[in-house]
Amino acid sequence: MNTNPDEATLALWLEDELQGEDLAAVDSWAMSQPDQLAARAQTRAWRAMVASAIPAVQEPPYPDFFNSRVMQAIRDSQPKAVPRKTFFRKSFLMPMAACAGMVLTFWVGTKTRNAPPEYDVAGAPKAIPVEPVIYTPEKGVNAEWFASAQASATVIVLNGVAAIPDTTDFSETVYVPMDREMDSTAGGAMNPGAGTIR
Amino acid sequence: MNKSRGEPSKIEPGPVGSVDSDASLNDPDDDFRLVALAQKGDMTAYDALVTRHRGRIFAMIRNMIHQEADAWDICQDVFIKAWHALPKFEAKARFSTWIYRIAHNAVYDWTRKRKIQSAGELNDEIFVRERIDSGSFTTPSGGESPDETMAHGELRVKIEAALGKLSAEHREVVILKDVQGLSYKEIADAMSSNLGTVMSRLYYARQKLQVLLKDEYESR
Repeated sequence: MNTNPDEATLALWLEDELQGEDLAAVDSWAMSQPDQLAARAQTRAWRAMVASAIPAVQEPPYPDFFNSRVMQAIRDSQPKAVPRKTFFRKSFLMPMAACAGMVLTFWVGTKTRNAPPEYDVAGAPKAIPVEPVIYTPEKGVNAEWFASAQASATVIVLNGVAAIPDTTDFSETVYVPMDREMDSTAGGAMNPGAGTIR
Repeated sequence: MNKSRGEPSKIEPGPVGSVDSDASLNDPDDDFRLVALAQKGDMTAYDALVTRHRGRIFAMIRNMIHQEADAWDICQDVFIKAWHALPKFEAKARFSTWIYRIAHNAVYDWTRKRKIQSAGELNDEIFVRERIDSGSFTTPSGGESPDETMAHGELRVKIEAALGKLSAEHREVVILKDVQGLSYKEIADAMSSNLGTVMSRLYYARQKLQVLLKDEYESR
């Protein structure tokens, strides 16, 4: 009876890939085969040497960024949702709908071609100058306005407004441009005082 | 089998389940559970799968092409392709074997494109030290940089240099078997090859490596 394992089985045994009955059978055969036992020991030593020198696992640089790039690429490659075609947008109905629209437009045009205009523009009243109405939100205040075409000026006089206290700081109501808001090309460096109120 | 070498990648606790502990990182059942969720469109589950397998896939690709930046890009492509192919994935094979197969194809695509792009360019391999005129004023440095030697270890550098002298098929079978710890069957699946071819390639690849690393190998 031939108990010698075939080449493939022997190769699996040398690599410690056999299990169960197959392993037991080759193990018992190999007890009388010192050269095979030596070969297996040599294979094990070789694998251990390579495995100790080269790691089986090496994280890619920036592993979190790696994952995010993969996920982003997947998201980008997902097909965009295609809107469902409505009844009239179905391809075979679109030419028919267009024709129907053209016919309807033509028919409306023939019916309205000779109709008189709804408004008589020629008889419309001419614009008349209206004096401005001055609105004062405060009670008891009377306002009058005077316009002078020669002086090219309009003056509004308010009667009944409370006197303005001397303590009012008008500078708070005045827009004062800051240096940084000035045009940097306006020679600010040449004239440091430009843009400030003295 | 040497299933878990090196540091396992960490998984942040997320809504994908309650079994994301370090102990379950190599659990194929947990992979199948995450795959099932990802197949339904759960991107959080897929993110966990990426975290779980990126270390091994990146290491495999980097060992194959020896360029970290390109390995990073290829590894990313692998996981993007895997997502798109996920509906076709059946639970006949382990997810890890399946993703190794995608990585195998990606590396070979990259190598093929690179060969086309670099056609006609200067080949660095022609600078064999023995062919340099001894009377020349300057000679290119053939040694590794000191920090690289420190970082990777002397033996690693030597093994990587020896691996670089093998053909792509021989290099890959050694990386998958001796570094990644895959079985013959898993390697055959990943490389779309048959068992006999894988066994033959591994035998000859190891023979060549042992000759190239004679001093290291005999001193151990």
